[in-house]
Parts: sequence; structure tokens; C-alpha cells
Amino acid sequence: MGKLSCFAAIIVGWSAMAALPLAHGETVLRVFAGGSQQRTDLARKMFDAFEKQNPGVKITLESGGATSELQRQYLSTLLGAKDSSLDVLILDIINPAQYYAAGWIEPLDRYLGAKDAKSYMSQYLPAYATADVIDNKIVALPDFADAMFLYYRKDLLDKYGVKPPATWDDLATESEKIQKGENNPNLQGLSFQGAPIEGAVCTFLLPYWSQGKDYQKGVPLDKKAAVTGLDMWLGMVDKGVAKKNIAEVKTGDTVNEFMAGNVVFAINWGFAWDLFQSDPHSKVKGNVGVATLPAMRGGQSATCIGGWQWSVSAFSKNKAEAARLVKFMSSPDVSKFMAINGSLLPVYAKVYSDPDVLKANPWYDFALPVVESAKSRPVSERYAEVSDVVRTQTSAALAGVTKPEATVDEIDNRLRRVMR
Amino acid sequence: MTTLLASTKDAPPRPRVARLLERLADPSERVQAILLLAPAALLLGLIVVYPIAKLVYNSFFDLRLSGGQRAPFVAFDNYQSALTDSQFWNALWNTALFTIITVIGALIIGLALALLANLPFRRKWPVRLALLLPWAMPLAFAGLIFAWFFNTDYGVVNDWLMRIGLAPRQWLLSPGTAFAAVCIAIIWKSSSFIGLILLAGLQMIPRSLYEAAEVDGATRFQQFREITLPLLAPSMIVALIFRTITALQTFDIPYTMTKGGPARATETLAMLIHSTTIDYGDIGYGSTLAVLMFIVSMAVTALYLRRIQRD
Repeated sequence: MGKLSCFAAIIVGWSAMAALPLAHGETVLRVFAGGSQQRTDLARKMFDAFEKQNPGVKITLESGGATSELQRQYLSTLLGAKDSSLDVLILDIINPAQYYAAGWIEPLDRYLGAKDAKSYMSQYLPAYATADVIDNKIVALPDFADAMFLYYRKDLLDKYGVKPPATWDDLATESEKIQKGENNPNLQGLSFQGAPIEGAVCTFLLPYWSQGKDYQKGVPLDKKAAVTGLDMWLGMVDKGVAKKNIAEVKTGDTVNEFMAGNVVFAINWGFAWDLFQSDPHSKVKGNVGVATLPAMRGGQSATCIGGWQWSVSAFSKNKAEAARLVKFMSSPDVSKFMAINGSLLPVYAKVYSDPDVLKANPWYDFALPVVESAKSRPVSERYAEVSDVVRTQTSAALAGVTKPEATVDEIDNRLRRVMR
Repeated sequence: MTTLLASTKDAPPRPRVARLLERLADPSERVQAILLLAPAALLLGLIVVYPIAKLVYNSFFDLRLSGGQRAPFVAFDNYQSALTDSQFWNALWNTALFTIITVIGALIIGLALALLANLPFRRKWPVRLALLLPWAMPLAFAGLIFAWFFNTDYGVVNDWLMRIGLAPRQWLLSPGTAFAAVCIAIIWKSSSFIGLILLAGLQMIPRSLYEAAEVDGATRFQQFREITLPLLAPSMIVALIFRTITALQTFDIPYTMTKGGPARATETLAMLIHSTTIDYGDIGYGSTLAVLMFIVSMAVTALYLRRIQRD
């Protein structure tokens, strides 16, 4: 019984603590703002601005989860338990469909005063009207956009007189030339994401999409194109353009190795630009070029759409206030601030041509069409399964554990029911 | 489950209470006893019986967190899917292999550690501390540390290989070496626990036995075989039981080291249950897998318990 009363005392203590802020007549919004790649430091500055505009609202920021999967895992555990300790959540673009289907996030139409979801969302880039509107309800608003780009070492390309490659084959040839000329065993030609993380789903899809194929519900996997895509990546490893242990490389590894000057070409998201240019450890400042991703021979360049969304937890006790914060964080002003200070791609088309934004990110002049035409990963309320199967199998193929044909068969078999 | 409840009801026959009950066959006393036992029974029911019953119940439904749809009753469909799912058999096989290799490995290393720690050192605490340290470390930590050890580019293992002139390997990227690396990490982590139990066992063996053996002219090896091993057997059985049961639930170390990769070569049953329920939100199928794992670990435990009772 002693233990029980102790337990009871703890519970009473907790509830007293939770009630404390209310006693001061203050609303506390608890925000999950993601990991460092979502630039929680910049989000905090914007929260401060919101607090100033809205006296009586305090925002506490919770950060965590270096990767998209870790964040999803944390949030699924919390929301699966109907926990009300978070009011506002940042979500990767792939998650709103599942979270809304599970009843974890609140439709925002009522709070935004939006009569029609589609027309309200038309102020944003088109991808977000698809990702954030489910069953004709706005379930999240975009924070920043993202897409994969090809980063390259301008100095090295100039030195060897080559242009940013148009196809993956060109990339391999150019990179072999540079690697041979530099004669530096630590210099990688190409770094991309081969570890079984969310980024590997894009790795699998990039060359696949480039052959004009798609993979969505009702659009089955074209196995031949998928095998050709994996063969292209494996060719990079065989030629020594990509390193042998590419199946261990995560998004952050690519960023760090490029920043250390050990990579000629790197595939990464828009946020990496700011790190290459302004991180104190960057050795490639001023020597970084950005281009659209190369295409498969005879195909079209294709990239993966990314980006992060703000949403209101269905279990929040301060939904109206939370929705106001979400609307604020998704405003053009915040979008501009994030673009200038973190090279986080704007979700409004007009912000791309803003002179201040262009000054910080000169490559935004070609980024807008790339983001506008970027492809989306399979949209499914069972995306967690899709992602797990695709990234695990892709990584295994890149490690040489399974053959491309067997890999693609496995993906197709495992996901046939989910993607029907 | 019922046995659990029954045993708690029978458990408190502390002799005094029993005698009291016998002496005063007063119905109000019996009521009092029931009242006194009720909180414990209720608590056990709440935290043991109810969750297990709910787990079994859920395993008969197609229950998902990923959609707002109803959860239809599917009888044994989930079980049928599990038994025909190559991923389930793969995870079960990996779990069995991990259990066999790491339990035997940890027993051998643990025994060596215990014998070492039992030597007459002048200062005992540094030895004990060294023995305790891996055990005190959180499992996830150990997994992360070993993941760095075996990293292709930055790992210390490849550094050693290169220093002695061998080619570096991609340890965690091929199924065989990844499995071996995980086993090494688990054995490192768990042998100190076995070492501790065996050390306690060693210290209970009277010195006089060894002295007598020495007088009879027994060699050190004979002493070990004829005195140490037989007298240590009970401690070994205890260590084996604890270790086997935890080994069947292996999760943290492979999860942090390899995430079950490459291509599910190091995925255990506990990891499969975790990804099915937590990541996929497929509660029905996840519960089925958990029930199957429960059956496996109950079977192994029962085997051990019978063995003890016979001894």
C-alpha cells in the first residue's frame, strides 16, 4: 500500500504541475518542432515573435529525432496513446495522410475560416494542396518546401573544364575524370543516401521517375524500370564514383563529407545549401554549385518533393490558439525569414523572386520550377509500411546483399496489397 | 494467467495468518482476508492479466491505427498470415540463433570473468567494477557504441585491421558479419551479468575442498572439473534461465546497431513486433506476433523450470 500511496502522490503532483500555468491565466502551447535539419533554432525565433504579438501565449519548444523515421516513431507512440502533451506538431510531407486517417490531427478549415480547402491552399505551391488536403479537409499547413538537388564543387568542375552533368552517365564520366586527375583516394565522385532511412526511398525513386514511370496507389511498380534504376546506382559503386559502403550513408553524412571537401557531386535537400555556405566547419564555402538532378539517358530529370508541415494535435486542449500559431508559421513573412536564414525553400511562389531571398540563395532563380515539378512519394495512409519496405530493400541492394531483380520483386510483393 | 491469480491467493498463507484463520473459523475473518488480498489481486489483474487478455483478444481482429475504419473480427486469419509470413520465420530463426550463440558465448566468457575476478587480488574493487560496468550500461548505449566500432569509415575495428595490414571490411553491410558483430556486442553486454552470478557461486565453494584436493595431488584442471564445475552448476542454471529469457526478447542492441539490416538479416521477433505495431500501426497483426512470441518464451521457460524441479 505504501507503493500505491506514493504512486497516487506522484499523479497528484503531476496534475498539479500541469495545472500550474493555467493558474497564471496564460496559454502554454507545446510545440514539437523536429530535429536540427528542420532548424528548430529558426523556429524558436519565430515563436518569440508570435509570443510578442500575442501576450498571454507562451510557447515551449520540444525538439528531437534526427531523422524523419525517428520523429514519426516518437509521434506515433505519443499520439497512439492519445497524449495531450503536444499542441502543435511538425510533420514530414509523407505523414499527414496517415495521421489524419488515424485521427491524430485536427482539420483546420474551421479555424482558418476556409470555405473551400482547394481554393485556400491555392496560395501555396501545388504539391502542398495535395499533401495537406485529405478528404477535402485542410489537415496541415506547409512550413517550408524541399526537393533534392545536385550540389557540385564549382572549383573542381571549372578546373577540369566540365559542366554540371545532364545525365547520370555524364556524371559518372565527369567524376571519374576529376577523381583520376585529383588522385586523392578520399575524394568521392558522388554521395547519395543509401542507408535504410527515409532518403533511400527517394534514392530508389529518382532514376525510376526519370524513366517516366510513377508509383502510386493504382499505379503499380514498373519492375523493369525499377531494376534499371538500381543498376544505375550500383554502376556508380562499381566504377568507384560512389563509395563502397554507400549503404551506410545517411543525409547528414553526405552533408558532412561534402562540407569537408571530400565529395565532387552530392545529392541532397535544399537546406544543405545554407550549411555548405555558412557553417563554420565548411571547407567549400564559395565553391558550391547547385543544379537540377541529372536524368537517365533519354529520360527527364526528376526530383523528390519534401518539406515539413505544421499541424494541430487532435488531443490538444488549446486548438484555437494552436491553429493561430500554425497559420502564423505558414505565412509569407515566416517563409521569407526561413529562406534567408536557413535556405529553407519557400512554400509561396512569389517569395522565390524576392530580392532579399535571392541575395542569400542565388540558385533560387531555377529552384522554383524544380520544386513545382517535383514528384511525390507514394501517398498512402499506410506510408510507414511503404517506406520501411522500400528503404530496407534499397539499402540491401546497394550493399550487394540482394540482387536488383530480387529486390524489386520483394518490394512489389510486400506492397502489392498496400498500394492497391 | 489463472495460475498467477491462484498463486497470489494462496501465497499469503504466512503461517501466522493461517493459524489465526484456523483458530478463529469466523466468517468475518475470511471476509477480512479477502479484503486484505483484494488490492494485490486487483493490481495484478490490472497490470498483468488484463493486458495479456487484451493482447490475445486484439490478435483476433484486423485492428489498425492507420485508418479510421472499423476493426473486423477475423478469427485466426492473423495467425495464418503469421505462420505463412517469411518475415516471421526469418525473425524467429534470427531470435533462436541469437539466443543460442549469445547465451553459450556469454556463459563461457562470463565463467572466465568470474574465475578471473575470484583470484586473490590485493584490491578487489577495480576488478568488481570492471565486471559490473558493461552490465550497468544501458543496452541502447552499448548498441550505439558497437555500431561505431564496426563502422566502415570511422570504426576502430577496421582501424585495427588496417594497422596489421588487413583490408577493412564493411561489417554491418553484409548479413554474416553484421550478425557476428551484433552477437559480439550482446555477449560483451551480457557476460558480466553471468559473471556476477557465477562469482557469487564461486565464493560459496568452501576453500577446504580445494585444499583437500591439493593434498590428494589433484592438478588445477582436475580441481576445476571435479570441484568447481559441479558445485557451480546451480548458479549456472540460474544464470542460464535469466539470460535465455532476456535473449529471447533481444531488441535494443540490434535495433541500435543495424536496425535489423542488412535485408532483415539481424531482425529479431521483438523488432518485428515493434515495427508492426509502432511503425505500421497494425495492432491486430502485431498482437498476433506478440502472442506467438509469448508462447515461445513460455515454452522455453517451462522447459527450464521442469529441469530445475527435477534437480
